[in-house]
Amino acid sequence: MAEDRQQPEQWGTRLGVILAVAGSAVGLGNFLRFPGQAAQNGGGAFMIPYFCALLLLGIPIGWAEWTMGRYGGRKGFHSGPAILGVFGGRSAGRYLGSISVLIPLAVSYYYIYVESWCLAYFWKYLTGGLGIDPTAPVAAQVATSTGFFREFVGASANGVLEAGHGTTIFFFALTVAVNLFLVYRGLNKGIEKFVTWAMPLMAACALVVLVRVLTLGTPDPANPGQNVLGGLGYMWNPDFAALGSFQTWLAAAGQIFFSLSVGFGVILNYASYMKKKDDVVLSGLTASATNEVFEVGFGGMITLTASFVFLGLSGTIAAVQTGSFGLGFNTLPVVFAQMGALGNFIGATWFLMLFLAAITSSLSMYQPTIAFLREALGVSRKMATTGMALLAVAGGWLVMYFSRELIFFDTLDFWVGTFLIFILAALQIVLFSWFFGAERALAEAHEGSHIRIPGPLRFVMKWVTPVYLIVVFVGFSVQNLRGSLAKAMANPEAQLALGWVLLNLLLLLVLVWRGERRWRAAGLDLDGRRPADD
Amino acid sequence: MRISGWIFLVLSTGFVVGLTAWCYYKVLTLPEDGVVKPPDMLGG
Repeated sequence: MAEDRQQPEQWGTRLGVILAVAGSAVGLGNFLRFPGQAAQNGGGAFMIPYFCALLLLGIPIGWAEWTMGRYGGRKGFHSGPAILGVFGGRSAGRYLGSISVLIPLAVSYYYIYVESWCLAYFWKYLTGGLGIDPTAPVAAQVATSTGFFREFVGASANGVLEAGHGTTIFFFALTVAVNLFLVYRGLNKGIEKFVTWAMPLMAACALVVLVRVLTLGTPDPANPGQNVLGGLGYMWNPDFAALGSFQTWLAAAGQIFFSLSVGFGVILNYASYMKKKDDVVLSGLTASATNEVFEVGFGGMITLTASFVFLGLSGTIAAVQTGSFGLGFNTLPVVFAQMGALGNFIGATWFLMLFLAAITSSLSMYQPTIAFLREALGVSRKMATTGMALLAVAGGWLVMYFSRELIFFDTLDFWVGTFLIFILAALQIVLFSWFFGAERALAEAHEGSHIRIPGPLRFVMKWVTPVYLIVVFVGFSVQNLRGSLAKAMANPEAQLALGWVLLNLLLLLVLVWRGERRWRAAGLDLDGRRPADD
Repeated sequence: MRISGWIFLVLSTGFVVGLTAWCYYKVLTLPEDGVVKPPDMLGG
C-alpha cells in the first residue's frame, strides 16, 4: 500500500473538532425551522418538551456517536460501516451501517443546492437587493419575492434551469467548487481551518442581525401593536394547553433530533479522527450547546420577531405555514425591504450567515464518503475525493435538473434526510447500550474525558433514549408515511429520486462487501474482538 | 409579551448561553496534550 494511502488524518486541536461538529449541526433549520415549530406548538411552553428531548434524546445519542467514532478510530477505522461493525454490529452492523454513508452523501446532493441559493441571495443583496418595492401592498411584495424564488430555483418545470438560468447554475457550480476545494485540502488544512473562522463569523453575522431586529421598535406608528415586544411575545408567550398534545412532544423531539445532526453519520466519522485519549464527553456537550445557542438564542429571537414587526400577526402566521423555505426566502426578503437604507446590508448579512451555516454542514457531509471509499478500496485521499466529487456532481445535477416544485429535492429530504436518520440513530443507540453494553460503552466514553456522564444517564441511555426514539419514530411514521408514499406514487420525479437513492445504496453495499474482504485479508480487527488498544 | 413569555425567554436563552460558556471555559482552560503541569514549588 502506498504511503499516501496509509497516511492517518487527525484533528489539529480539540477546539477544531468541536467547531467542526457544531458547524455540521448548525444549519438552516436553526434559524428557519425552529422558530416556526416553537410558535406553532405552544410558544414558550414548547421549550419544556424541547429541553426534555435535548437531555433524553439528543445529547445521549450524540455522546454515543462520539464514543463509537473514537473507538473505531482507535481500531484504525474511520467509516461508519466499519465503525458500527467494530462496535458490536459485526457483519450485519456493517451492511446496515452503509446508511451512515448514504445519509450524508444523499443529503449533500440537495443541501448544496440550498447552500447555493444562500450564496446567490447574499450576492443579490450586496448588489442592490431583489427589487421588491417597499411601498407596494405587502401581498404584492410577497408575490414578488415568491416569484423571484420560484424562478431562481426553477420550480415551474424540470430542466428549465438549463435554458437561460445562468445565475442559478453559476452559483451552484461555485458552491460545489468551494466545497470540493476545501475537502480536497483535507481534514486539518481544509475543514478544520475553515470552520475555525467560519463559526465565529457566523456568530458575528447573527449578532448583527439580532441587534438590528431587537432595535426595530415600532416602525409603523399606524400599527402600534406591531413592535418588537409583540414579535417576541408571538414566539415566546407560552400556551400550556399545547403540552397536552402528542404533536407538541413529537415536534420538539423531531426538532432536537434533526438540529443536532445525530443519526447523520457525521459525528461517527469526525470523532474517529480524534486521538485515543481525547475527551469525547465534554467535546460532545460543547458541540451540542453551541448548536443550541444558534437555535434558541438567535433562531428564537430573529426570524419571527422581524416578520411580526413588519407583517403583523396574520402575515407571520401565514409565513410560518409556508415552511422553512417560505419563511427564509419569500417572507424575510419582504422584511428586509421594509428596513430602509440598512435593508440590503442586513439582508446580505443574513444570507451570508445562512451560507456559512450551510457550508459548515455540507463540508461534513463529504468526509464520511471519502473515508469509506479510502477504506473500502484502499485508495488515496485524492482518489477517494475525486470519486466522491463525481457522485456529488451527478447527484447535485439531478436535484437541479428535476426542479419542478422541488419534488425530487423533497423526496430525498424526507426519505434520506428524515426517515433514514431515525433508523441510523436507533441502530447506534442499540449497538451502544445493548450490543457493546452500557457499562462498557460508558467506561469507553469516560476514557480521557474531562467531565463524567451523570450516573442516572446510564439508565437513560439504556432504556429511556431507545424507547423515546421508537415512540417518536412511530408517531412520525403515522403522521407522514402515508402522504409521502402517495406523493412518491404520483410523481415521476419522486420515483426517480428513490431510484437514485437505491442505486447509491446498492453501490455502498457492494463496497461494504469489498471492504470486509479487504479488512479481513489485512488482519484488521473488524469485528472488535480484540482489546481496544491493540 | 407577557411575564410568562419573558420567563421562558430568559430561562431558555440563559440556560443555553450559560451551558455553552461553561463548556468553552472548560475546553479552553484544559492543558494541551502532552503538556504536564509543573508542580507548584511555592504553594506545595
